[in-house]
Amino acid sequence: MTSTAIIFLIAGLGLITWVFARARAGKFITAGPASVHSLPSYHGWYAAMWAVVPAVIFLVVWNSIAPALGSYAVLDSPLAASLPTDPFTRAAILSEARDLSRDANLKVFNDAAVQLAPLYGEADRRYTMIGALAAFLLCFAGGAFAFTRLRPDFRARTKVERMVMLGLLLASLIAILATLGIVASLIFETIRFFNLVSPFEFLFGTNWNPSDKVVDGKATGFGAVPLFWGTVFIGAIIAMAVAIPLGLMSAVYLTQYASPGVRRWMKPILEILAGVPTVVYGYFAALTVAPALRSFAAGIGISNASSESALAAGLVMGVMIIPFVSSMADDSINAVPNSMRDGSLAMGATKSETIKQVLIPAALPGVVGGVLLAVSRAIGETMIVVMAAGLSANLTANPFASVTTVTTQIVQLLTGDTDFNSPMTLAAFALGLTLFIVTLLLNIVALQIVKRYREAYD
Amino acid sequence: MSPTSSPAPAGHPVAHKTDWMGAAMQKRIASRYASERRFKFMGLAAVTLSSLFLAFLLFVMVGNGAKGFITTEATLTVDMPAATGSISADQLTGPRLSATISSIDVRRIYDDAVEAQYGENGTRYFASTAWTALRSQLIANPDLLMGKADFWLPTSSDVDRAAKDRSTPEAEADYARLRQAGEVRQTFNWNFLTGSDGTDPARVGIWGALKGSLITIAVTLLLAFPVGVLAAVYLEEYATKNRLTDLIEVSINNLAAVPSIIFGLLGLAVFLQFFAMPRSAAIVGGLTLALMTMPVIVIASRNAIKAVPPSIREAAMGVGASPIQVVFHHVLPLAIPGIMTGTIIGMARALGETAPLLMIGMRAFTTTPPDSLTDPATVLPVQIFLWSDEVNRGFVEKTSAAIIVLLVFLLTMNAVAVYLRNRFETRW
Repeated sequence: MTSTAIIFLIAGLGLITWVFARARAGKFITAGPASVHSLPSYHGWYAAMWAVVPAVIFLVVWNSIAPALGSYAVLDSPLAASLPTDPFTRAAILSEARDLSRDANLKVFNDAAVQLAPLYGEADRRYTMIGALAAFLLCFAGGAFAFTRLRPDFRARTKVERMVMLGLLLASLIAILATLGIVASLIFETIRFFNLVSPFEFLFGTNWNPSDKVVDGKATGFGAVPLFWGTVFIGAIIAMAVAIPLGLMSAVYLTQYASPGVRRWMKPILEILAGVPTVVYGYFAALTVAPALRSFAAGIGISNASSESALAAGLVMGVMIIPFVSSMADDSINAVPNSMRDGSLAMGATKSETIKQVLIPAALPGVVGGVLLAVSRAIGETMIVVMAAGLSANLTANPFASVTTVTTQIVQLLTGDTDFNSPMTLAAFALGLTLFIVTLLLNIVALQIVKRYREAYD
Repeated sequence: MSPTSSPAPAGHPVAHKTDWMGAAMQKRIASRYASERRFKFMGLAAVTLSSLFLAFLLFVMVGNGAKGFITTEATLTVDMPAATGSISADQLTGPRLSATISSIDVRRIYDDAVEAQYGENGTRYFASTAWTALRSQLIANPDLLMGKADFWLPTSSDVDRAAKDRSTPEAEADYARLRQAGEVRQTFNWNFLTGSDGTDPARVGIWGALKGSLITIAVTLLLAFPVGVLAAVYLEEYATKNRLTDLIEVSINNLAAVPSIIFGLLGLAVFLQFFAMPRSAAIVGGLTLALMTMPVIVIASRNAIKAVPPSIREAAMGVGASPIQVVFHHVLPLAIPGIMTGTIIGMARALGETAPLLMIGMRAFTTTPPDSLTDPATVLPVQIFLWSDEVNRGFVEKTSAAIIVLLVFLLTMNAVAVYLRNRFETRW
């Protein structure tokens, strides 16, 4: 029995409970003159909740511990006695056996896994059955308990509403849970990585040449400086050189010069640029922009121009960021009080002089904040650089050369079969943590700047 | 001091009356106006350049991709009774049909017919899986088994490209020969919309990836929408100002700013590693994207709920509704258009997302569409990424065609969002 079927069955039982409880509560009204506290549907919800919620909670808990129970069952079997004692290989064989029990067509690297697979299949089936039976029992017990409590003066609405409040709170807590999940998974794997590579070497080393080899508990070739440089070069230098002038000038034109008709059409068109999926930009960069730039580079006499250049990725990324910079600049310019603009115009300044000498200086903190947010988005962008920037970790300022970035390497390190014990996989998490911290700091600083600036004019 | 202006005191320079009409001043004004025009032109140029880039991108994609919707077919005459022996009409009726067709060795019949019509190396004209197209035509129309018939079958990728554009010299010669004999035609490529991934660019389709995308997005919507809306209701209507509320708000704002690839790492470490969920499955993709989309929905929903005026709440309270009833019976229905708009925009973003799904292995090569939440699946953007890596030149037009399909979906979703906003938004 699959877990989907179990969930559907329990939902069906909940519905039946709802219908019966509601019908029973409906009789309270028709039966007697006694004052009924809650509407019949609240009684229905109350009973349905008792039927469904405990069963679902149990299923969730059960599903998270059942795999571990299955592993214990397999490890207790006589076949498992012959497994190697080295925890890494042992874990690898076990996880392979589990995958094999789910998908018989899988390619196998350890022969031991083939023997263990049926054991896994059997254990999984057994524990699924036990879980399903217990869930149904809970469902019936809960429904029956709630059913016996229905009375005309029973405060079903209050109970249901308290439950709804709890549900609302839980929904909000998921955000905290997700943040904790991100931080915990990144930090946990990064600490394991730093057991193999010293943080100092990772952050300041210039040799990026990752491999699975671990010699004397140390891995080499994980100096990430070329990656950091590539990320900054593409995301913060080239992309911003495109996005800041174009985005800022677009915002200035659309807010100060364009007629309402033009603005109504051009703003959504610019916003489409932000809605195009990044994989499309990446394909465009790799298919059209990069070859054009290479022939251009060859034309001006750069011999070793690469077909995957920092410039191609940065240019296209800059275009992607334009609407972002433009809308942030738009907001900041609009937040400048009109009196400042009017005063400048009244003194005889032309529109452009007003913009250059009054509006933009006044809006500068907001614009800077917006640019920082744009940088944080650009350095976290993945698909464009994966498809157009290349993989060679060069420490170069030549825009026609191929450089690699943090996100490209994360994708590269995690592609294919991921073994959670290899230094390459762990390195991806260390890079992820670095990226997370940097984007977070950029965002905090940017929001602080924008906030302080808003306060100045409010 | 007298109210009338007095002459400047001695020792101070005498104020000149500015000669506004003088040549120097005229020149200065002219240069200021020129700089004004230059600045305005720069602004116009920035807007034009940005929109031209969009136009160019769409133009390149449509130019490359339009051909992906066209397929080249060549004719093949098969004398079915001669090839299969005699099949009686009652063998083709009802339940016996499938047994009859599976008893026929279509592959061999195809090979023989090609050799008879096009010579020894005749199969080079056709796609390597052309015989499966023959079989599906027979299944669709079993009467063809009763006589000699012409079948239109897909040509090889090289010939296809020769027909559309440029290809290898041999393929171009082959195509010219076919064309002279009138044995080739170009039709709409239905297989592209109904087929799945494959190794032969002439026969690949996007339905497998599209179905994967739809399943993944359905999971995302089912998880992110209720959680996002409920969280927004809590934060906007019930939360008291305390530590926990602050923590929730900070978390949501942070999640909205985290790069999408980090969510992929989260999915890999938590869902695949910790909970041992299946790799490449739509459910894991949906969960990961749901975490990514939820903050977007929360923020949009909060704005929509905030826009409902307090008078509605007070009126509902006044007639005796409980706080929960106020929100669920009165505030939420009024906020729904805004919430829907935000949700659709968030879903469109999730539909175009690639990086986090690469992390959790949704790059499975599957030649059949996924049938359940746990089947290995891929999604449309990942399919585009995978095809873009293919060496075979025939994949270029397929990649662009898949991009066109993806863009059509996204633009439709965004258009619906804009329509909803304009149609149902109430200004209080």
